[in-house]
Amino acid sequence: MLKKLSHYWDVYKKFVSTSVSVETSFRTSFILLIFMDFFFFFSSIGSVSFIFDHVVNIGPWEKNQLLFFLTFMLMIDNLHMMIFSQSFWEFSFHIKTGQLDYVILKPMNTIFSVFFRHFRASSLFNTPLFLGYLIYYGIQVNLTAFDWVMLPFLIVLSLALLVVIEFILSTSMFWLTDGMGINFLRMQMQQLARWPNFIYQGLIRKVLTVVLPILLVGSGPVHFLLDKNAWQLLATMVVALVILTFVLLATWKVGLRRYDSASS
Amino acid sequence: MFKDLTLTNIGKWWITIQISWVKHTAYRLNFFLQIIGPALVFFFVKYNLWASIYAGDSEQIIRGFNFEKMINYHIWAFVVALVAQGHGSWNLAEDIRLGRISSYLIYPFNFWEFHTASWLSFQVIQMIIAAFTLGIISYFGLLIFPSFDYFLIGVAYTLFISLFWFTLQYLTGVMAFWLEETWILRVMLNTVAYFLSGAIIPLDLYPKWIVDILNYTPFPYLTYYPIKIFMGELTNLSLGLYIISFWTIVFAIINHLVWKKGIKLYTAAGM
Repeated sequence: MLKKLSHYWDVYKKFVSTSVSVETSFRTSFILLIFMDFFFFFSSIGSVSFIFDHVVNIGPWEKNQLLFFLTFMLMIDNLHMMIFSQSFWEFSFHIKTGQLDYVILKPMNTIFSVFFRHFRASSLFNTPLFLGYLIYYGIQVNLTAFDWVMLPFLIVLSLALLVVIEFILSTSMFWLTDGMGINFLRMQMQQLARWPNFIYQGLIRKVLTVVLPILLVGSGPVHFLLDKNAWQLLATMVVALVILTFVLLATWKVGLRRYDSASS
Repeated sequence: MFKDLTLTNIGKWWITIQISWVKHTAYRLNFFLQIIGPALVFFFVKYNLWASIYAGDSEQIIRGFNFEKMINYHIWAFVVALVAQGHGSWNLAEDIRLGRISSYLIYPFNFWEFHTASWLSFQVIQMIIAAFTLGIISYFGLLIFPSFDYFLIGVAYTLFISLFWFTLQYLTGVMAFWLEETWILRVMLNTVAYFLSGAIIPLDLYPKWIVDILNYTPFPYLTYYPIKIFMGELTNLSLGLYIISFWTIVFAIINHLVWKKGIKLYTAAGM
């Protein structure tokens, strides 16, 4: 098992190094990507700050709590952009053109070779900014030593849940002639998750918590960090991650069988 | 001869519009997820956000906005986003990058003519979707129409803005002569424009010093102004028209110059 993990880690290092080589050879695009993330970050923070110039609370949270939630989600976005984002777009293109043949023929787990292939080094440049703001708002909401220890694990857990949901959504591309629209659907899921669960009401909230648990991505960990009595959401998140992983493995297998290789 | 030439050209435009219509509507799920979905989800999130804010005190007024007025603002923002900002000129950059513009260089129909005709057909589809959406929202009594005059002026102004957006998106597209990835420019432009144009929250909620600076830029005239027209609250329409006209002409000239310079670099990849 350890040998296998070590092998995958070696392969991943190669994926990263080739991605960095490719990305840095297009220097203007590389710099523009850094600015794109930068603008997105400040427009998100600015919008919430401007709203709080006129209101005291949104739902049960005051300004610093909501900004802590937002910076937590932006940190997830940053890691998502860095590790996964490009692979989703390439996946739809590869299915459409038949280039997926070369990816799935590799002697590796196909989910790994499809979704971990591209690394976006430009996002790494903004990580200190995202992390700095997360730490700043963490201090503002008085996180305890235990919370600070938990924070990295919760970030990994949230990212894992988000990408598993997105992997499942992307599997539907096997059934479509052009899967590009699914990538836009994924982005809309991210948009929904970027706000705390309490802004949604009724059936929609239940569906987005239980059926397609996108609201748990940010709300589960942050509610827990701000109030230890809200552990149920975090527990639901762990259960959801386990169940969805099995759903992914099953749908992926069916999807691969459905794939008919456009180029062949 | 000139008359014949014009009529022939109109025929080409008409055929291109028809072809583009078929292309746009061929993959309906994709069209929905790519064009309508984002605007719809954006509206859905804003509706829930403001419902949550006003739930604390349903009578509160935030910078002149009660809940009903705030939701009306965002409904009109949704309509403006659909009609004015839906077209992304995606194919344009791809045509250049994949070497497909070689065909346009020998066709008796220019590259810009083809993409403008495609944009026109897209606009017709978007208008139909916007009208349908407005019909549904009005049926549920969520929308206040101040007057039919304001509505017509609002539609005309929004279509004018869509022309501005098209020239801007065209510019990001033709940058493909130099850039590998033009989508980055497009996303950056959209992010900044959404934030500074009042698409996310009304500009009335921004600090005054920011709004004072923004008034010298085209941003407020892209979303905030057309919404105010639809809501029957705008008195000075000419200022927005002058500013948007100015920037549309500037970008059209830049597009022409960039194309002229870019075509000299064109290597017809894949030929």
